[in-house]
Amino acid sequence: MGIKTVTIIGRNSLSQAVQQVLTAGHFKVITSDLEQDYTAGAAESEVVLEFLPEDFELKSKVLRNCAAKCSEETILATTTANPWVTRLATKIENPDRFIGLNFVKNPVQEKLLVQIVKGLQTSPRTVENCAQWLEKTGVTPVKLEESPGFIIDRVMAAIVNEAALMYSTKLATIEDIDKMVKVCANWPLGPFEFADTMGIDNVVKVLDSLYEQFGPKYQPCLLLRKMVDAGWLGKKTGRGFYTYS
Amino acid sequence: MEVKKICVLGAGVMGHGIAQVCAQAGHEVSLRDIKNEFVEAGIARIKTFLEGSVERKKMTREEANTILQHIRGTTDLRQAAEDADLVIEAIIEDINIKKQVFKELDGICRRDTIFASNTSAQSITEMAMATNRPEKFIGMHWFNPPQLMQGIEVVVHERISKDTLETIVDLCKKLGKIPGICKDSTGFIVNRLLQIWYNEGLNMYDEGISEPQDIDTAYKVGCGFRMGPFELRDMVGLDTGLAITETHYREFMRDQFKPPRCLVMKVKAGELGRKSGRGFYVYEPKS
Repeated sequence: MGIKTVTIIGRNSLSQAVQQVLTAGHFKVITSDLEQDYTAGAAESEVVLEFLPEDFELKSKVLRNCAAKCSEETILATTTANPWVTRLATKIENPDRFIGLNFVKNPVQEKLLVQIVKGLQTSPRTVENCAQWLEKTGVTPVKLEESPGFIIDRVMAAIVNEAALMYSTKLATIEDIDKMVKVCANWPLGPFEFADTMGIDNVVKVLDSLYEQFGPKYQPCLLLRKMVDAGWLGKKTGRGFYTYS
Repeated sequence: MEVKKICVLGAGVMGHGIAQVCAQAGHEVSLRDIKNEFVEAGIARIKTFLEGSVERKKMTREEANTILQHIRGTTDLRQAAEDADLVIEAIIEDINIKKQVFKELDGICRRDTIFASNTSAQSITEMAMATNRPEKFIGMHWFNPPQLMQGIEVVVHERISKDTLETIVDLCKKLGKIPGICKDSTGFIVNRLLQIWYNEGLNMYDEGISEPQDIDTAYKVGCGFRMGPFELRDMVGLDTGLAITETHYREFMRDQFKPPRCLVMKVKAGELGRKSGRGFYVYEPKS
């Protein structure tokens, strides 16, 4: 299938990065927001990407509206970081063309990863079409079945949780734990630096969803919960494991 | 206390590198192993490394010679350790053999000599208590290759003295290394976090969520890691890796550390990674 035109609904720093990459890859990008008639652009596109706030009802309403105006061949995609792909698919017609495309910015380099998330209803053809298209854009695609935290958030949350436990039990300091994994294992950032970048509230949210599915090994460390209660959410609030000016 | 003379026990992969780093910082070093051929092999590796440094103009021939003159190889434990200020043990990972050697050292070394173990898997506390000087016993966990890896996990326990810790932290810095202090606990800092890093990736494969190549790519491009968990497992060797994971699982008894099924099955099948031509990936024989 030939993908030439892509509609992006909603605007944030990630949608802008994706828009830039697509434009550079000679794809036509139509951007719109909820103030406009976003379905008009969607009707002319082969792919519709929603970058709306993480609100299930809002996303399902917008996607349903797009599905009603698009051809049944049009790929409809959510960029959600939540495991909502299968559930969102139930809200639209022809759910086999619905998919998750979760874009992730590399924390240390100018690189974009996209996690192609297959919901239960997503057809293999939709997955392959997305993978082939994204490979042409300079974004690196990886494929996975829908699961809490996908790949990136799951591994990072698990590492942060273990590191928080090590610090809470006074095994080592925050600084020494971060320093050692960087110099001894060549990690780009230490677990606490990752945590402050990801947001402590997000870490706990991901752990809670993993806990619900996979059991107690993902139970968030008490310290992480207290940090959320205290509003120490990381870089975005000026204080997390480190303080930021 | 100031450390001048250092005795390194074990001239293998870690020991020879540790001896070289100490000699490069100007210390008198004795390098001891149980057989002459092991000692000679260790010193030959140091020579090769230094030759390479001279060729790449990282040091002069004179500097390389001076470093070599600082290292004395021997198989005699008494000769190696009797006048040492610090003994760094880098022998086989067997707690009983290690304890036995430290007991012998008690009878050879001065009362104020510090004992350090480079173990990555054994209890520092248990070894400390097997000596007559637990307050002077410390963990010094180096990474491979010691000449190039900057970090050293400095492992403390209930009975260690402040002076011993300060002496070793200062020494690490003088050796050009970066120390990180950690209480005695399985895997210390780095190996413990690496277990989680590996297991999450391998578990996702076991659960049918994604494939090794996609998971490796996600770790590298999405998080900025240099390698993914399947690539690194293959490089280190799946049998070696499984043994470390099993140690963590046994010690912590937490599901986070449970050996993933795919790892257990690969080891059973003899697919041990690069060294056997096949692990999570297939490797073409080098022609």
